[in-house]
Amino acid sequence: MFNNLGHPFPVLLFDEVIDLVRGERIKTFKLITANEFYLAGHFPGNPIVPGVLTLEGMIQSAIFLVAETFSRGKLECSLQKVGRVRFKRPIYPGDRLEFSVQVDKREDPNWHFRGQAQIGQENAAEAQFSLHVDFREVGFEI
Amino acid sequence: MMENKEIQEILPHRYPFLLVDRITHLEPGKKAIGLKNLTGDEWFFQGHHFFPPVLILESLAQVGGIVLAAKAKEENPPARFMGLFAGVTDFQFYRSAVLGEQVTLKVELTQSLANVYRFAAEALVQEEKIASGQITLSFSPT
Repeated sequence: MFNNLGHPFPVLLFDEVIDLVRGERIKTFKLITANEFYLAGHFPGNPIVPGVLTLEGMIQSAIFLVAETFSRGKLECSLQKVGRVRFKRPIYPGDRLEFSVQVDKREDPNWHFRGQAQIGQENAAEAQFSLHVDFREVGFEI
Repeated sequence: MMENKEIQEILPHRYPFLLVDRITHLEPGKKAIGLKNLTGDEWFFQGHHFFPPVLILESLAQVGGIVLAAKAKEENPPARFMGLFAGVTDFQFYRSAVLGEQVTLKVELTQSLANVYRFAAEALVQEEKIASGQITLSFSPT
């Protein structure tokens, strides 16, 4: 799905959508297990989720939100800017990571987002980022 | 200059998350230039030919880690330490790098406070800047 949206990442980094308000916000989650292939190298014998994949989870949640906001047409999203990210604590196998992403401002074709990644009540990461959203309508209204 | 074998002596990252191939220039504690080759069978190329933008951030962070680790090793060869990606500020993506390209990764330490280190970072393909901004690492002895 993400390939069709123009976004290059081979792995989906959230498991389920918990809450979604079109054009506004989304909440998703991902369970972290020791079997994730990337943990083999990050780091051998010491699995810690790479911070950039936490960021990727927020970006993918944002793209899903954009895709759900448009009902039809051809959509391509690309990461344009990362304004600010703070990784606040390491994330380990066994954690349940919850992503909350809100549209901060929409200045078509650029959408600005604000996101948090939480484990329980604890903030694991915060981010501000912008996507370039290219949408073309196809088909007819009847 | 540092070959991949030496990079693996200084960084804990391994497949599939070692994202720098060679260091072509190194001033420990100050700056470094690294190289990441993008070739056909890498795990992140599935159905497309783009290097995912968050992995550009990770590649640059790894070169930053080498700058700090090389300095720590220089001062105290048996030293053990832990580096983690702490944040990103004002990072702009201009275009994607694609399969068949060599990405040059330039980082330069601009600020340090306690165990937090900030770098100016840019990724280039040949002479063209494809992404740039600031990255922050935390780095401390263990």
